[in-house]
Amino acid sequence: MSFHSPILTIKGVSFSYNHHREILSDINFSLSRGELLGIIGPNGSGKTTLLKVISGILKPSKGSILLLNQDLNNFSIEKIAKFISVVPQDTWVAFNFKAKEVVFMGRLPYISRLKGETLEDYRISREAMKKTHSLSLSENNIQEISGGERQRIFMAKALAQTPQLLLLDEFTSHLDLKYKYEMLNLLKKALQEEGLTIISIFHDLNLASIASDRLILLNEGRIEQIGTPQEVLNSENLQKVYGVKPILINHPDLNVPQVIM
Amino acid sequence: MGLNCYMKFSINKSPKEIAGYTNWQKKLILMILGGSLGILGVSLICLNFGVVSIHPKEIFSLIWNSSLDKTNSLIVWQLRAPRIIMATLTGIALATVGGAFQGILRNPLADPYILGVSAGAALGACIGIALQYATGYYLASYLPLFAFLGAMLSLYLVYLSSKISYSVNSTGLLLAGVAINFLFSALITVLLALSKRELHSMIFWLMGDLSTADWKKISLITLPVIIGCLLLFFSSLDLNALSLGEEEALHLGVNTGKLRMRIFFIGSIIIATVVSFTGLIGFVGLIIPHIARLLIGPDHRVMLPASALLGAIFLILCDTLARMVISPSEIPIGAITALVGAPMFIYLLRRK
Repeated sequence: MSFHSPILTIKGVSFSYNHHREILSDINFSLSRGELLGIIGPNGSGKTTLLKVISGILKPSKGSILLLNQDLNNFSIEKIAKFISVVPQDTWVAFNFKAKEVVFMGRLPYISRLKGETLEDYRISREAMKKTHSLSLSENNIQEISGGERQRIFMAKALAQTPQLLLLDEFTSHLDLKYKYEMLNLLKKALQEEGLTIISIFHDLNLASIASDRLILLNEGRIEQIGTPQEVLNSENLQKVYGVKPILINHPDLNVPQVIM
Repeated sequence: MGLNCYMKFSINKSPKEIAGYTNWQKKLILMILGGSLGILGVSLICLNFGVVSIHPKEIFSLIWNSSLDKTNSLIVWQLRAPRIIMATLTGIALATVGGAFQGILRNPLADPYILGVSAGAALGACIGIALQYATGYYLASYLPLFAFLGAMLSLYLVYLSSKISYSVNSTGLLLAGVAINFLFSALITVLLALSKRELHSMIFWLMGDLSTADWKKISLITLPVIIGCLLLFFSSLDLNALSLGEEEALHLGVNTGKLRMRIFFIGSIIIATVVSFTGLIGFVGLIIPHIARLLIGPDHRVMLPASALLGAIFLILCDTLARMVISPSEIPIGAITALVGAPMFIYLLRRK
């Protein structure tokens, strides 16, 4: 697997539940290693469905998905789990595990059910907590910490899974300014230094603009536009998709578009 | 594959660094040792209780040498000991399956009976009792067979209906189980309404009864219970992942559909085997896994074995109470489990 070959290629993917209305139609794009691709679009435009199709939870009704140039259909879910990890929007846990136990579950794809876990698994879990600044939460019960703290624990779990492709669904929704900033730094570092590739759904267009190398703007299950934040975030696109006419200014330091109401 | 390549380690390998994680194997071994001693201790004490009072000294000598006193030896070896062992196995089965079902359904209100298998067993047993009175044939010794066939019928029906339902997830299985439960309970109600003399036998069966325990029954249920529970223990890590949610478990490489069906089948067969002989002893399978979670946490690798041990101790004690409270008559053990268990559970909840 050469460094420049795409890690993920989506070819003509459509998805519908039981042949009803298509939720995704004819999605095409590819992603190279080390890239952060942001997905934006209004409610119901198919963002989360697209993520689920990529993570193998939903099977596309048309088209194909190539992970490292191999059809995703050839991967078992056990194998996908070693390549792709996901930080979900919903972080509710049914039983009151300790935060560190939840992070450790990220090692599950690597643990032999007969031989059990190794010291390495514990070390990777701990390192992931360190990176997400959540070591101090280790002993806390997962049902008794805040939504933002849970998001950090789930981020740590996803990193403990040592993926090549990380899928994030609105991972900053409960984070305060400080942790938003720190999570972005953590992800940037992971992208540059460790060759991680990220696809992230954003509701916050300004954060999407700052964080992403490229953006996909989804509208009614189709890609309205894909490109750099400068190309995608213009008032014409936003008016067409969101039906409002916002004001766009340039971020003074980062030179990316920012939306103000 | 170099899958871990992007994760670089900057921390030392000293055991102190990883000490943040408790050693669950050690916890498990200590717990099994403690629990087994507990079962043994409680059993020896409960051997002393009964309608006929036998001096503890004599009981201890009877354990080693059964030829000392024929009558007392018979009481200890053919009446009390089988009941205690039956209670042990039943407690292990109900509590373990209860914990595992709560895991696959992600629902703390689930119990071993929620997926319909018990209603099938109950209907089978009640049909057997009704037939006995209607035909005049003595069928009492075949009741377990009736119950087991009923349980297998309900298992099959729940499996079919959960497959038909559009969403093949835990809700689909739960709803199928609840529907079959209601259907079979309605049929039992009809039988109860039509019955006269047989009503008492049916009610007693429905509330659970260990008084008919003997060595033959024990030999029939031992293997299914032990092997079944061991198989459930081996799914512990997957059950842990499932508590994060259906999709999260899939993301962690757990085939949730297969896991759910595997646990459903193994659990149902364990329960079918046990309740066919004991009737429906309630509350144990619901409450013991909760107590285990309160005491040692939700990690299924230790929680399920802890449930098994606690379930056994709890049921031995409850059965002894059932024998003793209004001796020489007996209270159905199902009533005792709830009467004793509910206040104990509320106390533990408050203390936490």
